[in-house]
Amino acid sequence: MKKEHIGELEELVLLLIVMLKEEAYGLALRKSLKEQANRTVTIGAVHGTLNRLESKGFVESSLGGATESRGGRRKRLFTLTASGKKVLQKSRDVKVNLWSQIPELSMNKLG
Amino acid sequence: MKPQNPIPPQFTEAFLSWFCKGELLEEILGDLHEYHEELLDLPNWKRKLFYWFHVFNFLRPFAIKKSKSSQSNATAMFRHNFLITFRNFKRYKSSFFINLTGLSTGLVCVLLIYLWVSDELAIDKFHTNDHRLYQMMENVDQGTGMITRITTAGPTAKALAEEMPEVEYAVSTTWVSDYTLTFNNKDVTGKGIYASKDYFELFSYKLIQGESNQVLADKKSIVLSKSLAVSLFGTTENVVGKILEWQHEEKYQVSGIFEKTPSNSSVQFEFLLTFEGFLDNNEWATNWFNTAPRTFLLMKEGVDIQGFNSKVGELVRTKTEGKASHRTPFITGYSDVYLYSKYENGVQSGGRITYVKLFSIIALFVLVIACINFMNLSTARASRRIKEVGIKKALGAYRATLIGQYLGESILLSFLSLVISIMIVFVLLPQFSDITGKQLQIEFNLSLLTWLSAIVLGTGLLAGSYPALYLSKFNPISIFKNNLSGGAGEVWVRKGLVIFQFTISIVLIISVLVVYKQIEFTQNKNLGYKKDNVLIVDRNGQLGNDRKLKTFITEIQKLPGIEIAASSGHDMTGHNGGTYGVSWPGKDPEDRTEFERMPITHDMMDVLGIEMKEGRVFSEEFPSDSSKIIFNEAGIDFMGLTDPVGKVIQLWGEERQIIGVVKNFHFESFHENVKPLFFWLSPGRTEYVMARIEKGKEQAAIQNLEKFHADFNPNFPINYRFLDSDYQALYESEERVSVLSSYFAGIAILISCLGLFGLVAFTAERRMKEIGIRKILGSSSFGIIGLLSLDVTKMVVLAILIGLPMSYFIAEAWLDGFAFRIALEWWFFIGAGFMALLIAWLTVSFQILKTANVNPIECLRDE
Repeated sequence: MKKEHIGELEELVLLLIVMLKEEAYGLALRKSLKEQANRTVTIGAVHGTLNRLESKGFVESSLGGATESRGGRRKRLFTLTASGKKVLQKSRDVKVNLWSQIPELSMNKLG
Repeated sequence: MKPQNPIPPQFTEAFLSWFCKGELLEEILGDLHEYHEELLDLPNWKRKLFYWFHVFNFLRPFAIKKSKSSQSNATAMFRHNFLITFRNFKRYKSSFFINLTGLSTGLVCVLLIYLWVSDELAIDKFHTNDHRLYQMMENVDQGTGMITRITTAGPTAKALAEEMPEVEYAVSTTWVSDYTLTFNNKDVTGKGIYASKDYFELFSYKLIQGESNQVLADKKSIVLSKSLAVSLFGTTENVVGKILEWQHEEKYQVSGIFEKTPSNSSVQFEFLLTFEGFLDNNEWATNWFNTAPRTFLLMKEGVDIQGFNSKVGELVRTKTEGKASHRTPFITGYSDVYLYSKYENGVQSGGRITYVKLFSIIALFVLVIACINFMNLSTARASRRIKEVGIKKALGAYRATLIGQYLGESILLSFLSLVISIMIVFVLLPQFSDITGKQLQIEFNLSLLTWLSAIVLGTGLLAGSYPALYLSKFNPISIFKNNLSGGAGEVWVRKGLVIFQFTISIVLIISVLVVYKQIEFTQNKNLGYKKDNVLIVDRNGQLGNDRKLKTFITEIQKLPGIEIAASSGHDMTGHNGGTYGVSWPGKDPEDRTEFERMPITHDMMDVLGIEMKEGRVFSEEFPSDSSKIIFNEAGIDFMGLTDPVGKVIQLWGEERQIIGVVKNFHFESFHENVKPLFFWLSPGRTEYVMARIEKGKEQAAIQNLEKFHADFNPNFPINYRFLDSDYQALYESEERVSVLSSYFAGIAILISCLGLFGLVAFTAERRMKEIGIRKILGSSSFGIIGLLSLDVTKMVVLAILIGLPMSYFIAEAWLDGFAFRIALEWWFFIGAGFMALLIAWLTVSFQILKTANVNPIECLRDE
């Protein structure tokens, strides 16, 4: 199995995709990124990231949900795949593992 | 309700659909539209700015359209073909190597010959005035035939310059000779030539010091080459103006220095003296009757050469008041003379250009043979690649595509061969330069690169055309049904190709043999005199004095090792000088045939071992011998005299009695018949002291001679050589042809063997089933061997039958150029035939043995 890593932005996007459930598409994700993580990115960056995630096989997409505010055009909606879920978990596990090994940064001291 | 004014979506849409991938277009446009809605609160300008910012932000790699699909298809195809070709090479290593070897060898030949030919074609063409530069030649009607030569009368150039308005400059020169120059008691020998004042206006020899219109102005000037200046003075600084000595006789002042003569100049010299000075010391050259100097002209632009030639044709007749009416001068392009130097009866008939054409044809032939081999081998192994073709066609490949692929393969192969052959040429070049007597180098200039690309493309296309067409024409259905017809006609084509190659090889083998034998003949045939162990010493310095010469000759005969010596004016290796001033009763007054002149001192016949037919030699016992004359047989026959001894003829107006006739001997190369010749006692006109050395005592003799000469002639280093090596040098170009043809014969044979090898492999494969059945039905291995060998034998025999008559004609034609030649022996031809057979059998032996021993089950199992 190829070792796949995901970048920081990619990880955020993946998480937000799960969060947004049915409305996980480009513009909405951009808005979420701004609200939840205080990250400003261009629409093109979001679309590029989504494209990359799809080609890595972590998300699936389908077209749907045309509205008038989009001039009648459909949006591409994204959902997490099984391997996407795996890679998210792996990423979290790595971080948690590291955190727990550093006594200085342990919850006691910070809290 | 806020007014909805979307920024021209049309622009956006148009812009995006121009660069965006089709499948992403909808979602991107949709998102942008929605975003635009969010921006409605902002002032117009801000809205537009933000919007367009995001639009441009989509110019990212993932979103941009890939280049047109057909292009990507082509690159994919290209890479695929490349890969397939590569795998093909790796899988069928033996075919690959055979093809590579064959093509590389062919290309090596082509490259070497190309280098040689371009060098030959470039000789003398470097002069800036080349298109206006001409040399004067004379057609001489000798009464019995016409000869053409470059020797003209001394005053010619001056007369032309003064009297002919079409001539811008005219120059006389002598020929190149070795002379000794001295400065500060240091002697240096160098090659020198006399040239008249305007020499540097015509010829582009670079002057480093001195002006072209001045260096030869003063009669006492000498112009040195850079290297000669350095050997004499140690430097080229402040050399102009210095005085040096020539032949320890005369003093000259250095007036200029020139860069050395370039290697592609047919005239090579190291210093120049003035022709005007030459005339002062050589009165004989000042009249119109004697010819020896060369004349060159620089014509004005746009002169009608034909018209000029008809005018100048009368020049000699006018100047001699009709007395020398048999000479007709004409001019011809200077740079043409090197290649086109042969004339027959006044008409230009080739010369070195013949060799240029010959070798170019050989190069072409070799390349064609190599390509034919490639064709043969590729189509022979076709059965291996047939499945690939079938699949591709079944999947919808056009025939054109397949042809393209196979052509690409052969072009790639020929490119690889080219790379290899260039490396081989690098290695062989020094040796090849030696053989051809040139300095050849590979310069990667534009013209060479163009030629190389043309050759690669040409070879690839030529060699690959037939296989490409052949392979691509197969019907996929018949391939998979294992139903290859092949057809009988096809086998004949292959056989035809092999027969063609072997024919050429046979012709070359015989040519090599004939040339070798003829050269052997020239070296071993009795020349009518003994050329071995004869030392020649130039008459320099003190020896120039006739009395001192006599003393020298007398004294050296006493030295141990030296048997006998005399002096002669003829170097025995070609035409030296002739005269038509011999008159005999019954001579046709219009006859201008020249008799070769041989001024000698006593004992010359003994030194050279020339045999007398009648009469006696000059003897010191008879002082009146100085007014006698001796002819050779050819001379007597020409004059039509019977009982010649005692008869009186006239030489230059003086009566001389014939006291003897010598048997004909060869004083020229075997190309020439033995011409009429006469001897007379004239020590003053001799130039070479010839001494016969005792066999086995050469070392001692030379040492003694050197010592004696040093004492006798202190200022001049002895300049000696052996007559037999001079003689050998006569046949230099034939030697060259001999060596080169043997190499080329070897190459042709190699390539033919490759071809035969390929063919046998093919037929063996084809006949596998037949052989299997034969074996089962009881044929022994020997039987199979016999069967297959018979096939090969028949082909070679056919090649022999075609090749022998061809080579007979070619050999006869070449030998015709010799007045004295070997007869074509029958064993040349039979021997060559046997050799060809032997080579063929050897080549296929391995293959045939393998095939004959094959297990019949292997070949019949295929179904």
